[in-house]
Amino acid sequence: MDKLVACQTCGLVQGVDDVPKNSVIKCARCNFQIFHRRVNSRARTLAFSLAALILYFPSNLYPIITADYQGQHTQTTIFQGISSLFAHQQYFIASLIFCTSILTPALKIIGLIFITLTLGWPKWKKARTWIFKIISIIDPWNMLEVFLLAICVSMVELGEVATVHPGRGVFAFAACVVLTLLATLSFDSRLLWDSPEEKRHYE
Amino acid sequence: MNENARTLPQAKIERSRFSWFLWLIPIAAALLCTWYVCRDYIFAGPTITIYFQNAEGLQEQNSIVQYRGVKIGEVGTLKLMKDRQRVSVTAELDTAAAGIAREGSVFWIVRPEVKLGSVSGLRTIVLGNYITVQPGNGSPTNLFVGAEKEPIEPIQALDIQLLATKLDSLQPQSPVFYRGIQVGEVLDCRLSDDARAVLIHARIGEQYAPLVRMNSKFWNAGGIDFHLGLFSGAKLTAESAQTLISGGIAFATPPDFQKAATNGAIFSLNEKSDAEWEKWSPAIPLHAVPEAMTNETPLPNFKLK
Repeated sequence: MDKLVACQTCGLVQGVDDVPKNSVIKCARCNFQIFHRRVNSRARTLAFSLAALILYFPSNLYPIITADYQGQHTQTTIFQGISSLFAHQQYFIASLIFCTSILTPALKIIGLIFITLTLGWPKWKKARTWIFKIISIIDPWNMLEVFLLAICVSMVELGEVATVHPGRGVFAFAACVVLTLLATLSFDSRLLWDSPEEKRHYE
Repeated sequence: MNENARTLPQAKIERSRFSWFLWLIPIAAALLCTWYVCRDYIFAGPTITIYFQNAEGLQEQNSIVQYRGVKIGEVGTLKLMKDRQRVSVTAELDTAAAGIAREGSVFWIVRPEVKLGSVSGLRTIVLGNYITVQPGNGSPTNLFVGAEKEPIEPIQALDIQLLATKLDSLQPQSPVFYRGIQVGEVLDCRLSDDARAVLIHARIGEQYAPLVRMNSKFWNAGGIDFHLGLFSGAKLTAESAQTLISGGIAFATPPDFQKAATNGAIFSLNEKSDAEWEKWSPAIPLHAVPEAMTNETPLPNFKLK
């Protein structure tokens, strides 16, 4: 008996032995998992960001909306939507949507993958910190979800005039949004400045 | 303190067995992508190129290819050929319709058409012009020369040629009558090769084919026939209301009829009927309506349990 922990769920203080790798601590009373850091942070972040990166391509290459209107059959990808906004002189909205739904998700996904992959390297510690700072800055601007919501609204609203249905890319798009969110949530920034011993313990 | 600590419960330590489940997420994402790629590039139907004289009414990425009223593909690009004589149209066919990309298939563009006596392709006014096809059964190919208009379907029927001095009001789809009943129609009209007569291609429905004999008489039944006789008074005749606008052909077969006409038989088309021809009424047994004429594919036989 060398340590005391308190359960986050029921508050019971209890003793705990050394925890071997690939094991979890469970509360003696409520059987809920007790953790010190975010559980399995590095592996989770890496898995979620990899999946998001893979789905990023179909979500941008495949049409999000298909509309049938008086014999016109149009399929629109996000990028085509942005360029048509540009063509209609809506420069501000077009660049806003470009940043929030194409640029920042890509930066964020690539940044998280870079950090999680190079975490064990003694080099580039500063670079990782910088990347994490950039991710924290662009994160609030990352509002893919809002755009998705706008699409859903237009699907419902336009239903009377034209036949609008989700395109093939919409599932990949939604999955990409959720996975990016999960990747950010599961990343523990303390991993960035852990000493090598701590790293071995918490990864 | 030590005594207190001894009374504290001990937390359980369990091996986390399912941590590798996490890696199923990127694998699932990769599988989804593979499926997208497979569906688009490996399981996709063939892309065919059709050369049309005139692709009027087709739209890039927008027009569709239909067969029997069902969408079987989409038009990709429209391009003018270098010699400016033709337009090449690429179309992506669905996997289910891959069998249509065969030699002998005839593609044509359906456009709205308003002719005297018939209106066709009205749907295209709203939905846009589309390409449709009459499938052939040659070897698979990706290059086709599009037809300008709907090809004449090779159904079982009697095709005859009529020679006339002039066309009058006849036109494609003008009816052919026997005793006032429509038994066939004109398919197309053209000048003979030496330009001395008009060749009219008419088709008689197969069940009425025995009515046409080698010595049958054909006459132009279009328009109104107006007679003013001293004893009979004024007489106004017309074969049917339709012939008033679209013209028509009537024929009669003499009682001493010869053998039945064969495909491609040539008759002369008289300008007027003869009173004697109209009195002819030979007894000719007709064919029963064969299956090919009802234009229905027999249903597959389902075994009832």
